[in-house]
Amino acid sequence: MMSEPATNTDDHAWLLRLLQAGDSFYPTGSYAHSFGLEALVQDGVIQDRASLRQFLFLSVLPALRQAELPLAAHAWRALAGPDWKAVGELCVLSSALKAPRELRLASEQIGRQRAELLAQLHPGSLAATFCREAAENRWPGSAAVSAALEGRVAGAPLPAVLSGVYYSAIAALLSAGMKLLRLGQNGAQTLLSEALAPAPAILSAATVVPVSEVGWFNPWLDIAAARHEFADARMFIS
Amino acid sequence: MTEFSGHLRLRAARRADGRTVLAEQAFRAPFHLSKPYWEPEARTLIVQVVNPTAGVLAGDRLESSLQVDPDAALIVTTPSASRIFQMRTGQALSRQSYTVAAGGWLEVLPEPLVPHRGSVFRQETRIDVAPGGGVFFVDQLIPGRLGHAEAWQWAQLTLETEVRVGGELALRERLSLSGAELQELAAFFGSGPTCCFANALLIPPTLEPVPPDWWQPLHALQEAGVRLGASALRRGGWSLRLAASGPLQLRDTVQEVRRLLAAQFPRLGANLRKL
Repeated sequence: MMSEPATNTDDHAWLLRLLQAGDSFYPTGSYAHSFGLEALVQDGVIQDRASLRQFLFLSVLPALRQAELPLAAHAWRALAGPDWKAVGELCVLSSALKAPRELRLASEQIGRQRAELLAQLHPGSLAATFCREAAENRWPGSAAVSAALEGRVAGAPLPAVLSGVYYSAIAALLSAGMKLLRLGQNGAQTLLSEALAPAPAILSAATVVPVSEVGWFNPWLDIAAARHEFADARMFIS
Repeated sequence: MTEFSGHLRLRAARRADGRTVLAEQAFRAPFHLSKPYWEPEARTLIVQVVNPTAGVLAGDRLESSLQVDPDAALIVTTPSASRIFQMRTGQALSRQSYTVAAGGWLEVLPEPLVPHRGSVFRQETRIDVAPGGGVFFVDQLIPGRLGHAEAWQWAQLTLETEVRVGGELALRERLSLSGAELQELAAFFGSGPTCCFANALLIPPTLEPVPPDWWQPLHALQEAGVRLGASALRRGGWSLRLAASGPLQLRDTVQEVRRLLAAQFPRLGANLRKL
């Protein structure tokens, strides 16, 4: 009888920690945000699965490639030292990249919540020092920087951290889409699979974006998000 | 073909009588200045920057630096659109640096960029505002020579703007797309084949609170063919984005935005003396 080859599970302990941080069960507050999707649905731009798919490919994936993923990659590298000055600058940059207040606050709140929860779950870790530095220097929260922090605390490699950012961003949007559109679970999952297909190329491109070229915005999304801020009725915070 | 390494450097200062004058000025082709004139009602000096060449060509390197001293007020505009010509090789670069001291006011409202077929253009704008200084900056884009049925044909257009208030980064925006990519976005969002854009930035010249409903008259400008949204920046000031279905709607809406904001910021009431 052949035995299974021995596997060192310690080498993959980071995976469990990333799975925990990426689970919808993990209280990050992202369920309360649609990241501009509700505004676009209200405007009639996104009406169904097909238009949601177009939005993903035309706007969400380019923004991930040129903004959130490079931010997370730079933060992951800066946290290795850690180089707190660089980490703080990335927090500020993350906030400054989002002109509409709602989109900015969504990232700031989720980022802050993730960092504080991480510090609570791992006392004495890098996360606790990060929270102290952030409070002392009044850094804005950043979802991308907090994802990098989770990766560092977990001991996860950069590709895994970026994969988590990529997956979480799309999953959160589709989750909001299921509440806003006639989009069932199977429809959302097939869309998720389609959006995951270009991930390797996008992740690879994102890791080489210099800080000076981080940033991407969609004028129409920003307009919709700006108007959503003052909408009379809304289901999501953003 | 001649390649330019042009520069424009202006420093606006307040004279003893309260008027703003150009305390320093230097420029080299393709930049040229028309005679500055004082707008007495808005108490602002208006400068028209003229490009006597046909437009921006491959290899052009343009640098402009505007500095506004304490309590001075300056408007810089252009009389016509900036055409970015076809580039078979190479690209053109424009670097813009604006600095505004406490109590100073700077409005930069050039006519739109018009990137032609095959052009590659990069514009980098850095704005530094001291607390208490004010800025109104508008970037406009027409997607090609619409009169020649040429639109969305540029190869790559990169527009970067970075704003610091009191030394802290308040905004970085970066648009880097081919004409085809932006056209696809415009079509998806229902803005039509001749969609034009404006990005405006307003840093209020005072630290006084603005009325809570400041956004209402601006948002009321949205109508068929015009989408517009304004939102507060992280360190004071507002970002305003505008997508219009054509050049005339763009021009009219930008003018209306200025008129509406002038109620709160009177210097925006200055007559730019354009037809």
